[in-house]
Order: sequence, then C-alpha cells, then structure tokens
Amino acid sequence: MSHTETEIPTPKTNPTQEPEVLKAERSNLGMLRPDHNKSVIIDWLTTVDHKKIGIMYGAIALFFLLVGGLEALIIRTQLAVPENDLISAQRYNQLFTMHGTTMIFLAVMPLNAAFFNFLVPLQIGARDVAFPRINSLSLWTFVAGAIVINFGWLLQALEVMGLFEAKGATAGMTDLVPAGGWFGYAPLTSTDFSGAGTDFWIMGLQILGIASLSASMNFIVTIINMRAPGMKMMRLPVFTWMTLVTSLLIVFAFPAITVALGQLMFDRVWNTNFFNVAGGGQPILWQHLFWIFGHPEVYILVLPAMGMISEVLPTFSKKPLFGYSIVVFSGAVIGFLGFAVWSHHMFTTGLGKVATAAFSLLTMAIAVPTGVKIFNWVGTLWGGRVRFSAPMIFALGFVWMFMMGGFSGIMHAAAPADAQQQDSYFVIAHFHYVIMGGIFLALVSGIYYWMPKVFGKMWVGNLSTWVAVLVVVGLNVTFFPMHFLGLLGMPRRTHTYLEGFGWETYNMVCTIGAYVLAVGILLLLVDMVRCIRKGTPAGNDPWNARTLEWSTTSPPQAYNFAKTPVIPARDALWEHKYGPENRRITYEEDHGHGVHMPSQSWMPLIASIGFIPLGLGMSMMQAGVPFMGYVAIFGLVVVCVGLALWALEGPGGYHLHPEEG
Amino acid sequence: MTTFVTKGPVAEAQYDLFMLTVWVTFGIFLLVGSVYIVAIIKFRERPNDDRPMPSQGHGNPLVEIGLIGASILLLVVIAVPTLKAIWFTHDTPDDPESYLGTWYSGEGLAEEEAENPLIVKVIGYQWWWAFEYPQLGITTANEMVIPAGKVVHLELRSVDVIHSFWLPRIAGKVDLIPGRTNSMWIQAGDNFARWKEKQALQGEGPELREQYATYLEEEIHDYYYGQCAEFCGESHARMLFRATVVGDDAFAAWVASEKEGHRPPDNKTWEEWYAVYDKNPDALTGDLNEGLKIFMDRGKCATCHVVKGNPRALGVAGPNLTNVGSRLSIAAGWLNHHTEEAVIDPEQQYENFYKWIDQTNVVKPGNLMWKANGGGIGELTDENGDLALLTDDEIHKLSLYLQSLQ
Amino acid sequence: MSNTADHADSHSSLVVDNKKLLMWLFLGSDCMFFGTLISTHLIYRKLYPDSFEPTTLFSLELTSFSTFILLMSSFLMALAVSAMHKGQLKSFRRNTLGVIFFGLIFLGCQVYEFAHFVHEDLTLQTNTFGSTFYMMTGTHGVHVAIGIFWLICMYFYSHTGKMDAHESAVDVEVAGLYWHFVDIVWIVIFTAVYLVEFIPEI
Repeated sequence: MSHTETEIPTPKTNPTQEPEVLKAERSNLGMLRPDHNKSVIIDWLTTVDHKKIGIMYGAIALFFLLVGGLEALIIRTQLAVPENDLISAQRYNQLFTMHGTTMIFLAVMPLNAAFFNFLVPLQIGARDVAFPRINSLSLWTFVAGAIVINFGWLLQALEVMGLFEAKGATAGMTDLVPAGGWFGYAPLTSTDFSGAGTDFWIMGLQILGIASLSASMNFIVTIINMRAPGMKMMRLPVFTWMTLVTSLLIVFAFPAITVALGQLMFDRVWNTNFFNVAGGGQPILWQHLFWIFGHPEVYILVLPAMGMISEVLPTFSKKPLFGYSIVVFSGAVIGFLGFAVWSHHMFTTGLGKVATAAFSLLTMAIAVPTGVKIFNWVGTLWGGRVRFSAPMIFALGFVWMFMMGGFSGIMHAAAPADAQQQDSYFVIAHFHYVIMGGIFLALVSGIYYWMPKVFGKMWVGNLSTWVAVLVVVGLNVTFFPMHFLGLLGMPRRTHTYLEGFGWETYNMVCTIGAYVLAVGILLLLVDMVRCIRKGTPAGNDPWNARTLEWSTTSPPQAYNFAKTPVIPARDALWEHKYGPENRRITYEEDHGHGVHMPSQSWMPLIASIGFIPLGLGMSMMQAGVPFMGYVAIFGLVVVCVGLALWALEGPGGYHLHPEEG
Repeated sequence: MTTFVTKGPVAEAQYDLFMLTVWVTFGIFLLVGSVYIVAIIKFRERPNDDRPMPSQGHGNPLVEIGLIGASILLLVVIAVPTLKAIWFTHDTPDDPESYLGTWYSGEGLAEEEAENPLIVKVIGYQWWWAFEYPQLGITTANEMVIPAGKVVHLELRSVDVIHSFWLPRIAGKVDLIPGRTNSMWIQAGDNFARWKEKQALQGEGPELREQYATYLEEEIHDYYYGQCAEFCGESHARMLFRATVVGDDAFAAWVASEKEGHRPPDNKTWEEWYAVYDKNPDALTGDLNEGLKIFMDRGKCATCHVVKGNPRALGVAGPNLTNVGSRLSIAAGWLNHHTEEAVIDPEQQYENFYKWIDQTNVVKPGNLMWKANGGGIGELTDENGDLALLTDDEIHKLSLYLQSLQ
Repeated sequence: MSNTADHADSHSSLVVDNKKLLMWLFLGSDCMFFGTLISTHLIYRKLYPDSFEPTTLFSLELTSFSTFILLMSSFLMALAVSAMHKGQLKSFRRNTLGVIFFGLIFLGCQVYEFAHFVHEDLTLQTNTFGSTFYMMTGTHGVHVAIGIFWLICMYFYSHTGKMDAHESAVDVEVAGLYWHFVDIVWIVIFTAVYLVEFIPEI
C-alpha cells in the first residue's frame, strides 16, 4: 500500500487557556451570557455547540432505547407461554403502546438526530449549524416532549405505591398511561374509550413534533447554506445527503400528524366531531392523516441509516461508493414516493379495488430505488479491500438483515396477500427486520465508526465481536419465528393467546431471542463506557477514512476547523491523501479576526421548559383536574417569554484565535 | 388458525399470491445474497496485505440501468397476479349455485332473495361479534354457521371502535369501521365447477355430485377459528369467533332451530310460565326454573340479552343467547368446551358458564357485562343498595339454565 | 431571532439568506398544514344533516370586505419591506402601523363573524362543518394574530435605534414573507370554504 499521506494541518491550541482569556459578555438585555462558564452543568444546559447537543441527543436516546427495550422484554415475557397472567391486559396494552412510541420518537429519531448534529457541520466543513440556538431549542423541546409522554408512567407508579388516586378533583385521571397503540386509531382514542394517558400521548407527540420540525429546518438551511467553499451538492457525503432528504420529509410529513393530533385533541377537549361518528365524523380520516405522516416516518427512520452505511462500506472497502449519484438520487426518490404509498397500511379498511391496486403498485415501485441501494452497496464491496473492523461487521450485517426486511415488505405490497398478513405477527417480523436488523445495526455501526471522533478514544479489545454475534443472533431468533406466527394466524397486540394453535414453541423461541438481544445491547453499552474510560487516543483519522470530518482533531475543537477548508473533490480527505496533487484540501486564510463563535444562551432551555406545563396542563385539563387550564397558560407564557427574550438578547458571539503550530 | 391450509377460494388466492412473492423474492435473495457473500470473501483484506490500492471506480451506469430494469421486470411478475387477485377477492362472484333459492330448503325465504347469495351482517362490539342473517331473520353471536361450498356475502359494521374480521383458513381480513359498512365475500370450500376443474373432471352425473358432496363433508365441514385482528381496546386478545361450516340440510336445520327459539322448562308455554312467575314465582321450582328466574330478575340478564321465544328477554346490548347451549365456546371464543371431534363436553361447558358468570372481569377485563354503569353483574345490589353479587348457588343454577338453551 | 450572518459563516453560492431560507421552509411546512386542514374541510363539508345550509349563514359582503382588507395589508407590508431596504425608518413605521391596523380589522371581522355564527347555532360541536370550519379559520386567525404580535414587536424595536438597513431589512423581509403567506392562505380559504358554498350542486 502506498503511503502518500500528507500531514493534515492541525491546530495546536491549548484549550485550558481559553477561559482565562475570554470573559462572558453582556447580552442586549444587559444580562451576563452563560459563555465560558466554569460550571459544567450550566455549560451543557446552555450550550449551542452542535457537538455537545449531538452527544446529549445520543445519551438521551440510548436511555430511552433501554426504556423501550425493557418494555419489549416485559411484553415478550408475558407472551412466552399461552394464557399467561404475568401482567394485566391493560398493562400489556400500555407497554406495547409505549414501546412503539418510545422506540420511534424517543430512541431511533433522536439517535439519528445525534448523528445529524455531530456530523453534518463537520462533514460540510462548517463551524456550526445555521441556527445554533434553535438547535438547542430542538434538543430541550424534545426532552420536554419525552417527559410529557412518559408522565403517565410516573403517575402510574405513584398509584401503584398508593400515593395517587383518581378521586375527587383528579377523578378523571384514570387510564394514566397511553394504551391506544403508537398509531392511536380513532375512535379508540376518543374520550369514550380511553383516559388521561391518551392526552399525555397527544400533547407529548405535538411537542416532539415542534422539536423535530425546528431541528430539520435548521439542518436543511445548514446543508444548503453552510457548506465550505468547493463543497458542491454532488460532493456532499451521502450521510449528509440523506440528512437533507430526511429533514425535508420531516418538514412536509409532520404537519399531517400535527393536524390529526389537533383534531383528536379538539374532539377530546371540546367535543368536536372529527372522529365522532354520531356527529358525522369519519374515523377513517385519522388513518389517512396518520399514515400520510406515518409512512414518510418510516423513511425518516431508515434514510439516515442508509446514509451511515454508505459512509462505512466505502471506508472499509477502500473504494468510493459505487454509483454515488444513483444512491443519492434513489434516496430522494424513496423520500418522494414515501408520500404516495400511505394507504398500503390500510389495505384492509375497504379502500375499493382501484385505490388498493394503485397503492399496491406504487408500493412495489418503491422497492426499485431501495433495491438500487443494495446493488450499489454490493458493488462498493466488489473489487475492494474489505476490512472487518467493528463498524464494517455491523454494516455488512445491516445489508443482509435489511434485505430480508425488504423482501417481506414486497410480500405486503401484494394487497391480497397482505389481507392475511396485516395486523398479524408477520408484520411485526417485517418491520423489526427493517428497524432492528436494518436501522439499529446501522446505528451501532455508526456508533463504532464515529465514537473515536466524538470522544477521541479508540475502542479497546474485541467486545464488539460479541456484541455483533449476540445482537444478530438475538434479533434473528426473536423475529424470524414471528413470520411463521403471523402466517399461523396470531394477531398483533394481543396480551395473551389460547393454547393449541401451534404458537407455543414459536413464542417461547421469540422470548428467548429477545433476552439474547438484550444481553447484546447491554454489552454494547459496556463497550461504549469502556471506550470512553480506557480508550487509547484515536488520532484524527483512525480508520483511514474518506470524508471531511476525519481531517480535524478527535474530538474536534469547539470551532471544528481552525481554518475554513476548501474542498476540491468528493471524498475530500481520501483524495487529499491518495489523490493527485490538485485535489489536496487547502485552507482559507484567516484575516486576523479569528473564528467567530456563537454565544451560549439560557433562552432555548427556558422556552423549552415551558412546554412541560403547557403539555401536562392541557392533558389534565381534559381529565377535569381543576386549575390545569391556568397551568397550560402559564406554560405558554413561559414559552413566549423565552422566545421574546431570545429575540431581544441578540445573537452575541465571540472570537477564538486557534494558534497554529 | 393457519393461513397455510386454505379452505376456500379467497384464502387460496391470497395464499397463492403470497407464495409467488415468496419464490420471487427468495430467488432475488439467493442471487444478490450469494454475490454479496462472494464479494465479502473474495475481496477481503488478507493479513499483511500489500496488494496495490483497489481501483477507485465510481460505478458503471450500464450495470445500474440493467439492474434497475431487471428489478422492474421481476416486480411486473408479481404485479400482474396481484391485480388479478385484487379483483378476484374484492367482487362477490355471481354464482347461481350459491343463490339462496338454489340450495336453501328451509322456510321463510322471501322470493326476491332467491337469486341472492346468503348475506351475513357482521357487527363488532367491544369484545364480541353479532352475526345477523337478514334474509332468514335470525341473529346469533360469536359462532356463525355457513353452508359449505357457497358464496357468502358479508356486510361488516362496528358499533364502537374499529375491529377486523379474520377467518384465516377461509379469507384474509377486512376491517369493521364505525360509520361505514365494508363488505367482503367468503366461501368455505370450492363450488362444484371449481372442484371439478381442480380434479380435472368433467360432466354433470350424480356420481360426480356424490363425490363432490363427500369432498365437502370430509374436507370442508369443520369448525373454523377466527379472531379480531385490529386492536380494539383492553380485551382485544379475547375477541375470537368461530365459523361452523355445514351441509345445506344441516344449515336449514340450524336456521329452523334458531327461528324456533326456546320454551321455558317443564314444557310450559311462555304465557303459562309467566302467569305463574308474575303471581307466585315460588311455585316454579327445580334448578332450571330457578335458573330462568335468576336470568329474568336477580341477575338482570334479560336486560341485555335476547333469548328467542322468551317474550321478555329482548335486550340487545349483549350477545344473543338463543341456542347458546349448543355453541362450542362462550365468551367470544375464549372459553372452549368441545372435544377434538367438535362435540360438546358438558362438564367443561358447565365449568365455563360458571367461570364466565363468576369471574367475568377476569376472563374479559373491562367488559360491559361486569360493569355497565349500574347494570352489570359486578354491580348487582340488594334492596338496601348494598353490593350483592350472585351467590355460588345462583351461579350454579344460572349455568345449568344456560346449558339447557340447546 | 437567531444567530445572524454578520460574520461570514456562510460560504454558499446560493444567495438566499439563512433566515429567509428558514422562513421558506417553515412556509412549506405550513402549506402542508393548511392543506391538511382545508382538505379535511372539503371532505367533511357535506357530512352534515341536510337541514344545515351554510349559505344562509355566510355573509359574502363582510367576508369579501375582510379579504380586501387583508389584501391591502399585504400591500402595505410590501411598502414597509421596501422602506426598510432603503433605510427609511419613518416610512417603515408608518406602513407597519398600517399593516397592524388592517390586521386588527381583519381579526375583528373574524371575531364578529364567529360570534354571529355561534349565535345562529353553528358551534364547534354542531356538526362536522362547524368543527372543520372553526378549526381551520381559527388556526388562520391565530396565524394573523402571531403576525400582528411580531410586527408590533418590530415596531417598538425600531425605536431602540438598533435597527440597521442591512441586517434588519432581512428580518423585516422574513416577517413580510410570513404575512404574505398568511394572506394567500386566506384567499384559498375564502375560495374553498366561502365561495364554494354558493356554487349550486357542488
């Protein structure tokens, strides 16, 4: 191998000196900015640094991954044997509702957001995202939404301990945890059939929607406007491209669920008729609105994973991505078609044969761009030099598992066949292959790939092999038998089942697999902790990688790049290392005023905290708890005050002068 | 409940299409999968690998376009049969053999219905099913009876939340959605023509007819499991149902018995029984009479349940109990009491009735019979308004009475 | 509202300012939002009992008047933006006050209309028409109110002396984009909700 690596200019700053030099300024309101604060907690609470925000997203997402995983384990334990009464029917319904909601909105989406935050500015050669304070708002609003949506568990725990009772003023506070499914089909979520839990679910999702929308608009502006010179759109790393497509999907898909949740809230609080049959409403409207959001949501989850894989495979094959432009284009096509296939979730609702046929064909059509991606990944390996490092092992596993999930997807696309599969365990098998076998493996691959960049520490030992074995074996043992369970007639969302349909063995195997999977995920966390605590310094470019983020220090300095890089080609770092002379990364001269850094701010945090009383107040107002309307108004006022002070405090900012060695 | 052993043209079409998708995708999987594995093995990095850097190719448009074309072709292979199956499973076929007038020999059939297939209205409740036969004027619950080899048209409605009708061996599911009526058709077993086609037989002779009848009897007459497939609240898991598929004569006999309903114990007429009941109820003795009295007053059963014949049992909030004693299961298919040959096991049946009345809230948590806001058996009170649930002895007698409704 | 671009962090060849791009994206999202609300209304408008006849309720004169007012406010908004670009602070203030005033008239008309409809027994609860009508027009009203609040803030901010023709012109332009969008949405609502009812047989 030819080692023509040239030294990457790295700034040799001494970060410990900075706080002494830099003093916090006052904002336009005359208040001291929380910049350069010695308190670590204040620093993290007020940070606008996309890297710190990304790390917090990741930590919170991993926490909720464990919560959702625990919920799944209880579900699987309940189903291990027929007619089990480990947990009650309603508890089971709460668990699967919260398992789905948690995994989608509080684990996978924020884990994706963690990668967006950390990587996108680094990959495009920017100092930060376009709107650092909005970024901070997105993070904390997400936390507020997570708290509101899980608030029912807290009340439920208090109730079990005898500290809370639904009587007197709180008489309406029954049914505390959401139990209507993550899809919340009307009219099961109306006040006739569900209690306070549904209100927490509605308000929590609305708040999470605000967080996701603001974050994605921010990323779109960042990717379009903040690219380093020379970083043309068709030179963007594929992960950044997929972030852009995902963000666009969020921007255009979330309004549908916002309206649907609003209508449901109106129905519950003000007795409107949107889903009330007696008043002329049509419950089917909810399904249409929900899936117009819900199907793009699937691609919102999976496209970032595809982006990560498209980064990892080339690095560990020492080859560029096969058919870059087609991979990018097919990602965009998937995103676009994703809006045209929502009714394939509704094949059994009596759409009529023409609509069924149309959605059936469109759904099959979406298999083409997805297949294209798989062909291109295989093409990337072909003729390369495949190195089995930890990230690569998971990426290779991803391609295999994702193919399996995709194939069962084609089976659903044939609407008549779907009539047997819909709402059976076959569907559960399908989307867990996509989400666990696909998205989750890609995320683990991403964690193994980028953790050295995030913390500057290299992995220790071979625990990753064990993680890979346990996770892949665990998820196949858990989810493969579910195909057969579904075809043998076992419906989803049932808290127990009768003996004698031939489901017993399969269920037992699934449950065992779930525990294996759980051990694998715990080992992953152990490995991460080990890496952070005992890892050896990683250096800038431990994997001999291709993209721009590996050209700066690990972990990157607050300003990312001491000087703005000028990008001559796609796979900038690789070309810099191995390409011809004219493809070296060059750096713009800094004209003496240093690197402009945005000031930290309390305001995003304050505005976000306001969402908690707003959400909880609205929820409990529906349940008839007194004064809750005022609590909601108080929350709204906090949000508005936070935003107003934010506007008035001014952007601020200070300059750093990275010294070059 | 398996979808692999199909017993009707709808499930069969769905299964065939499914298997087609399985084979096509399996083929692609083998092909792509093996190339993938070869790529991983062949191009792996070897220890001390000092081969030159792999060529930095960015892809090959011809390969790309070829692969896209191939994928589209394979999808067409699936798409055409899919469209056919959508049309086939959607439209209720017009089959003269299935006309009620052709095969139904019972009474009470209006003339204008003679050229229609049997219609069953399926109505979903949290968490049980009502099956109405509008052409025949009968209603039953949780266990429907349908004729073998005939097209049956289902009209699906719901009174509360969304449910889904799924009879895996006979047909895939269609949802019951409040505020609209969905429809589907089912058929247990092939009709004569289709059966002949499959057996590669021709002609019309009585021998063939006999052979066909044997086929229906041996392969199709059965007790089929079904279940609600759309999450419908707390006890969704316990919303099952059954379809008993029988021959034409047995069907007519079943209809007749449903229409006739029940008489009170001791061979009285209802007028005679109520005459005694109204004046001197203590004169009605014996377990069955006692059970019927509890049914009418203490247990408030008649407020919500219909028993055909009984002029005062007219409630419609709960399942119709006509012939409930001849059903092989109660509590929407959750409590079963039949042997493997689909014959009632009376001891088990008694136990199930007892358990259902005694522990309704445990068997089906959240259900209306236990707590109906002042009407459920979990809220029964004495004259002072104190909670007074049914005693063991009362449940015993009530169970015996319900068992007698055959 | 947020980090300004005064320190040349943006290297894009595209010349759309960060804030403007953000507003465009928000408006794209809002399009889907109103699109969903309006289509819900169009699907639901006939799902009410026959006895209900919205044409007897609607007053085209009043709604046309308020539509005209809103259109005129958009005109003044455009003048305010252009004044700000030229650094004419006084003209900016005058026009902004005009926009605020017209916006308030529009809101007043809407409040009057709502009160009138409720008096005539069309409430959120009456039927599907009422539910979708109030939710949609109410959401639009909230958008107008937010716009007015935003412009009032800007008006007062213009007295602090911190406004400059370069940076603040972008802020005013972003507010203008929002205001024009809200105006356009109203035109769609006016057509699809009010005028449609007067076409027989639809």
